Amino acid sequence: MLELNNIESGYGDVQVLFGVSLNVQPGEILCLLGRNGAGKTTLLKSIMGLLPLKSGAIHFNGTALHTLPAHNIAKQGIAYVPQGRRLFSELTVAQNIEVGLMVQGRSNQTRERVLDLFPRLRERLKQRAETLSGGEQQMLAMARALSTEPRVLLLDEPTEGLQPSMVALIDEVTLKMRSEGVAIVLVEHHLDTVLNIADRVAFIENGRNPETVSAYDLSRTPEKVMQYLGVN
Amino acid sequence: MEFGPHFFLASLEGAVNAAVLALMAVGLSIVFGIMRVVNVAHGEFFMLGAVIAWWISTLAGGHPAVGFLFALIAAPLIVGAIAAAADHFVLRRINYDPERTIVATIGLLYVLQQTTLMTFGPEARPVEAPFNKRLALPWFEKTADGFSMYWPWGLSTTSYKLAVIAAAVIILIGLWLFMTRSRIGLIMRATQLDREMALAHGIPVDKVYALVFGLGAGIAALAAVLIVPIQQAHYLMGHDPLLLSFIVVIIGGLGSIPGTIVAAIFIGMSDGIISVFFSPTVAKIIATLLVAFVLIFRPQGLFGKRSA
Repeated sequence: MLELNNIESGYGDVQVLFGVSLNVQPGEILCLLGRNGAGKTTLLKSIMGLLPLKSGAIHFNGTALHTLPAHNIAKQGIAYVPQGRRLFSELTVAQNIEVGLMVQGRSNQTRERVLDLFPRLRERLKQRAETLSGGEQQMLAMARALSTEPRVLLLDEPTEGLQPSMVALIDEVTLKMRSEGVAIVLVEHHLDTVLNIADRVAFIENGRNPETVSAYDLSRTPEKVMQYLGVN
Repeated sequence: MEFGPHFFLASLEGAVNAAVLALMAVGLSIVFGIMRVVNVAHGEFFMLGAVIAWWISTLAGGHPAVGFLFALIAAPLIVGAIAAAADHFVLRRINYDPERTIVATIGLLYVLQQTTLMTFGPEARPVEAPFNKRLALPWFEKTADGFSMYWPWGLSTTSYKLAVIAAAVIILIGLWLFMTRSRIGLIMRATQLDREMALAHGIPVDKVYALVFGLGAGIAALAAVLIVPIQQAHYLMGHDPLLLSFIVVIIGGLGSIPGTIVAAIFIGMSDGIISVFFSPTVAKIIATLLVAFVLIFRPQGLFGKRSA
């Protein structure tokens, strides 16, 4: 499915990733776990083509993503929910979703399906994105990404700073996407969430991926979390 | 002439000024808003529009309206294409870096200006208006038995000047509908709000930028075609409109289209009125002073947002 092979990437002259290899399969949640500044966001941006690779390769079902221009990555079926939501703040809820729908030329049916996942957004279609509450903004960021009907979903701290009921809703939608066969890469700091919903956990440390373990194994060897995150 | 009718006449001249300036400045504002490029060559695109209008109208011959109509369609398209090419071959190569694009567009300014001088020559050339009926205007005076209407000597305008004002209003409304209602407008606004997220949602930002730069230049050219029957085409005619557009865009708020239009009306009108009663130089001095005050007391402009 999605396969990263020895990728090196960073911002200009500052290299952040040093030979990371990962893969994620359909219907699987791969969680990236690591300290701040370890390179998790850089990894997601590199997949989206927003940062050029210095070396290595990213393949998705045989297509070499790293050779495509950035605006063609989404068209391959890869959707990105960035950290901090990054909505088109002055556009309305409906327009934000419309931008997502345009990626694949999706119809009303997709729109309805996405709005059914987040009924709250349906009530706010004409409202500008910047006027929504934090939780609603996160819903919209998810909705915008899901409007592309992705086969791979990249989620960068989707529950950061949200109240528990919102966290539950976002997790629920994430699990629903998994059950529909979407491959999910999730950056998450809440260890409980990680252990609850992830299938595998890839540790990221100083731009490298020293180890990838199953969530089940991780729950039995908590000292690994101590080792890579410095917390219990 | 008495003050009342004189002021009315000056306001009409100011309104023509304001109409053209609003178009010019909106072009500059769109380019800055979406691409974050300060386009110093904007005035030259205006000049090119006027020169091409002259060229087309001399080629066309026949009734002046024929050539003018051709120019109205062709000049913005040609200038837009030149600008899109400049985006592709110059601005994209320097990654739209804010400082370097300023230097690059200064270079572009001289290239366009000197090329025009070499081919078109230094003369100012007139373009005949498609229609130009003189319209005498009435004024009111208070007499012993109430208000009465009379026709002061010298108080007149032309049908063409009124048409310029109307055309500018129609173009601005059309542009507003394009930006807010059309799919391309949505794509342009999404790119403006977050370039990286636009890319991540399949928007070909490179193409959007070429389109926006071409659109901005095309609007300037359109403004020039409208004004050239009043002003004449000349290779240095881009300077004043460029200065005034910058003043307008700074006062209105960088990237804010409503702010740009309000400021254009204000500056255009006051420039016209002060030019008539005092001198054009005084008008420019006051406008520049106003910019200084805006920069000191409200740096984001009247309608601009403070950047976070």
